[in-house]
Amino acid sequence: MTDHGPALSFEQVGMHYPTGTTALDDVTLHVGAGEFVAVVGPSGCGKSTLLRLAAGLLTPTSGTVARSAARLGFVFQDPTLLPWRSVRRNVELAGELRREPAAQRRERAEQALARVGLTGAADQLPRTLSGGMRMRVSLARTLAGQPELMLFDEPFGSLDEITRERLGEELQSLFVADGFAGLLVTHSVAEAVYLAERVVVMADRRIVGEVAVPLPYPREPQVRFWPDFTALTANVTELLRGSSAERTAAVAR
Amino acid sequence: MSAAYTRLRTALPPLAVSGLVLVLWYLGSYVLIDADRRFLLPPPHEVVRVALDPANLAELMAGLGLSAQVAVLGLGIAAVVGLLLAALMSQARWIERAVYPYAVLLQTVPILALVPLFGFWFGFGLPSRVLTCVLIALFPITANTLFGLRSTDPALHDLFTLHRASRWTRLVKLQLPAALPSILTGLRISAGAAVIGAIVGDFFFQQGQPGLGQLIYLYPRRLQSELLFAAVILASLLGLVVFWLFGTVARYATAWHDSQQRPASTGQGAAR
Ligand SMILES: Nc1ncnc2c1ncn2[C@@H]1O[C@H](COP(=O)(O)OP(=O)(O)O)[C@@H](O)[C@H]1O
Ligand SMILES: [Mg+2]
Repeated sequence: MTDHGPALSFEQVGMHYPTGTTALDDVTLHVGAGEFVAVVGPSGCGKSTLLRLAAGLLTPTSGTVARSAARLGFVFQDPTLLPWRSVRRNVELAGELRREPAAQRRERAEQALARVGLTGAADQLPRTLSGGMRMRVSLARTLAGQPELMLFDEPFGSLDEITRERLGEELQSLFVADGFAGLLVTHSVAEAVYLAERVVVMADRRIVGEVAVPLPYPREPQVRFWPDFTALTANVTELLRGSSAERTAAVAR
Repeated sequence: MSAAYTRLRTALPPLAVSGLVLVLWYLGSYVLIDADRRFLLPPPHEVVRVALDPANLAELMAGLGLSAQVAVLGLGIAAVVGLLLAALMSQARWIERAVYPYAVLLQTVPILALVPLFGFWFGFGLPSRVLTCVLIALFPITANTLFGLRSTDPALHDLFTLHRASRWTRLVKLQLPAALPSILTGLRISAGAAVIGAIVGDFFFQQGQPGLGQLIYLYPRRLQSELLFAAVILASLLGLVVFWLFGTVARYATAWHDSQQRPASTGQGAAR
């Protein structure tokens, strides 16, 4: 929301996998501290690669990726829970791996669980939970690490639309309360516009455009029906279409 | 449906089959075979009567005790060595490439044919019998554990990488628990192999204190066919108990795993 220099910056980043696939080409992208940016694009355009580079799980083959945020959270596409651990112990995992003292990590886990409304399910095993609840556990695990930068890889992609929208609203209130910087990858235009201050449109390994979302936070769920909102989603869709039309034309030629 | 009724319905088919087997056995003993050749298939109650004779019982129990001891020791050592080997191989491909072929070799060499050699080297006592057992039981546990350690969800690996987890932490907190179902499958196969190794190995040793295998070899030569049947049944029971034990342990230890979910609608347990 406020700009204190970038939490994450990509400068002319390219990524070629050893298999020969080029997943990203000349990508320059900045996410300011406390800023929430969404990336939309069709599947296979390099979104996950972008996030894995941001997290340091991959090193770019050209260009530079710089991250000033010390504490990083990554919410994967699937909940990625340890099925043999209770919800509480799953949320404690991050603190455990960082060797936080037991009391502190327990307390942070309790708080994080309370924030996603899962205090009652703390002692259950993941398999007894619904898909939406598992995703909340995953979110709580990330929150417990008190991240300065949160990365989301199509986090609600496998959920039904109602759950998906509700989780989007919860995520927004968490973001508004904590002010972490966010980079959200999604293929849902409405989700991107609802959550982000800026929507970056990707197609075919490149960034093809950007749409600023000047709607103030906190955004009520009803924002989705406002004319401004619809106009913004239309802009994003237009960019996505335009790039695919270009590509179709290129193929036809 | 009450729990007792459900349990009855699960137990009934196998009970019916054992009833049928008993009936066929009696038919065989009394109808198919003449009285003077009945030793070929003594009726069940005769087997029980002769086996319960104190002197015979003592011999059978000593044999069972020895075989069980060999099987348990062999399995225990195979489990520890197998887990360590698999954990080591999971750490680097080059270690796997160096070690795995020999594990496979172990599986292809007919270990029982080497029994006389072990006898030469280590004598005919407990150590060579346990060694035979270990060599027979080692491969399944090693191969299954390695498979389990290698098939951890890559996303979970990413999670551990993000938090800069050490190899050891990754192994202990992620890979080993995730591999538990595979480990237990391997253990169960190894347990079966260990029981066979203990009994058949003993059969091949032909010397030293007799276990069930040697008794099974001796009884027909002494024309004690009731005792032969008793020994065979005890050997099978030993295998069954081991199998059941591991099945139960596995069910409790991996209650979190999807394979332990019974399909609710069909009323049947998953095959295990
Ligand atoms: N580990 C990998 N090795 C080789 N190619 C990969 C790998 N991961 C992704 N790719 C390829 O890179 C391209 C972009 O993939 P990805 O970043 O997963 O896209 P998205 O998340 O937008 O669907 C795809 O063509 C994919 O096949
Ligand atoms: Mg992806």
